[in-house]
Amino acid sequence: MVDWQPFVNEPAVIAAAVLALGLVVGYLVGRLNEELLSASGVPEAVEGTPFERTAQSIGTSTVEIVARLSSWFIYGIAVLTAIHIAQLLDTDAFWLRVTEFIPQLFIAVLVLILGFIVADKSELIVSEYLRGVKLPEVSVIPKLVKYSVLYVTFIIALGQIGVHVLALLILLTVYAIGIVIVGTVAFKDFLVSSAAGIYLLLNQPYGIGDEVRIGDQTGIVQEVDLFVTKIEDDSEEYIVPNRKIFENGIIRMRD
Amino acid sequence: MAGIDDVFGDLFASVDAVVLFSPSGSYYERFVAVEDLDVVVVGTENAVSAETFVELPLEFEDISERIRFGLEGALEQGVIEDGDELACATSVFGDGIDTVSRVRADVENHTGIYDIFAKSRADPEVVKAVLELAIELGQKGQKGKPVGALFIVGDAGKVMNKSRPLSYNPFEKSHVHVGDPIVNVMLKEFSRLDGAFIISDAGKIVSAYRYLEPSAEGVDIPKGLGARHMAGGAITRDTNAIAIVLSESDGLVRAFKGGELILEVDPEAY
Repeated sequence: MVDWQPFVNEPAVIAAAVLALGLVVGYLVGRLNEELLSASGVPEAVEGTPFERTAQSIGTSTVEIVARLSSWFIYGIAVLTAIHIAQLLDTDAFWLRVTEFIPQLFIAVLVLILGFIVADKSELIVSEYLRGVKLPEVSVIPKLVKYSVLYVTFIIALGQIGVHVLALLILLTVYAIGIVIVGTVAFKDFLVSSAAGIYLLLNQPYGIGDEVRIGDQTGIVQEVDLFVTKIEDDSEEYIVPNRKIFENGIIRMRD
Repeated sequence: MAGIDDVFGDLFASVDAVVLFSPSGSYYERFVAVEDLDVVVVGTENAVSAETFVELPLEFEDISERIRFGLEGALEQGVIEDGDELACATSVFGDGIDTVSRVRADVENHTGIYDIFAKSRADPEVVKAVLELAIELGQKGQKGKPVGALFIVGDAGKVMNKSRPLSYNPFEKSHVHVGDPIVNVMLKEFSRLDGAFIISDAGKIVSAYRYLEPSAEGVDIPKGLGARHMAGGAITRDTNAIAIVLSESDGLVRAFKGGELILEVDPEAY
């Protein structure tokens, strides 16, 4: 009968056990992650994004990268714990910083991957949406969306690992405010028209087929939508913005 | 096999243009690479970014319909000319192109079938959706019984002024558009009501239960069709609308424009 007790109490043995456990758990978590991500339809969602294509070209995939990342995270913790137990490195200050830093780094990398995918995906969606607009300059907009998303991602990732991002945040705020101001100025008429349009659609003070006068234009209503009302007389079709209807009032003609 | 090439070669010898129906990208590239050959692509969408493209509003099952529609559209757009000899390549059985037929473009055969989609007031998608609905209704009927239906599409303002309600309008103050998912069921249920459905240019269902009051003067529709067809045909003469009629008696879907019958399809063939 061999007495195992002294061996078990040996730090090196415990460290080895922790290391082995870490490797097993890390591998299992990686596999589980991969299964979960595949089952929740992530491969379909990221399909066609440049990130996924790059991953494919080096013989892996987004799901695999994320799964591996979680595995490596656990491996890392296991290794560090083992080192600590075996007391190979006996600097507590170092240890403290590392334990704080590793999860943050992990989250930062995860945020970066997620950010790249979201950015690529939103670029794809926006360009798909704008495909009907046959104007070369319009291709700037998807790019702009992509880099805006990437910028926010980088700020989050850098903030996560403790880099000072105040200047970048100020830049982002200025950018966002700029977009809001330009948006309100450019789309003011649309906003006012759509507010009027909602009222018109809900209450239907006039409907298709009614003869009405809006301002100087008299005709039969052909169509009412959120932004415009189309009225038509014998020779002309007027497309009247809905805000005009509130400004001028509408006159229903009776015979 | 040289013998077969000679015989079948007559099919595409000295044609003025090749008309490809919904080709795949690589297939189209191979035709473009051939020098001195005009290539026209016809399909529901321009998937290969072809230079000369004719849009097909429906994926016609019937080959002769498909080719006739495609050529009429091409003639209308001036892509081909009257009397051109064309090799039309399309698919009959599989996904890929497997059939070539030699057709002569003929302005005389103009039926206006292309106009009903491309030159109507209403959006082509709306016309397409209503036509598909009528075909579906014709195939299944309502609760297994054959039904008739009358859809007036486009120019709704004028049509409303040339008709009167038979009863309360079930679509009043609603914002239902053809092509919305639940609408087909709704329209099927309402199709047992008498009267016409009126649909606006953008596809809003303006009214059901409408009694049309056009003047039926000079309407030229085949004898033997009933009051529903007469009313539908006549209103298209008075307005810029088109009428899509599902016949209760023979189950055919017919479309009228400008007071004339321009399309007749058998729902069973789809």
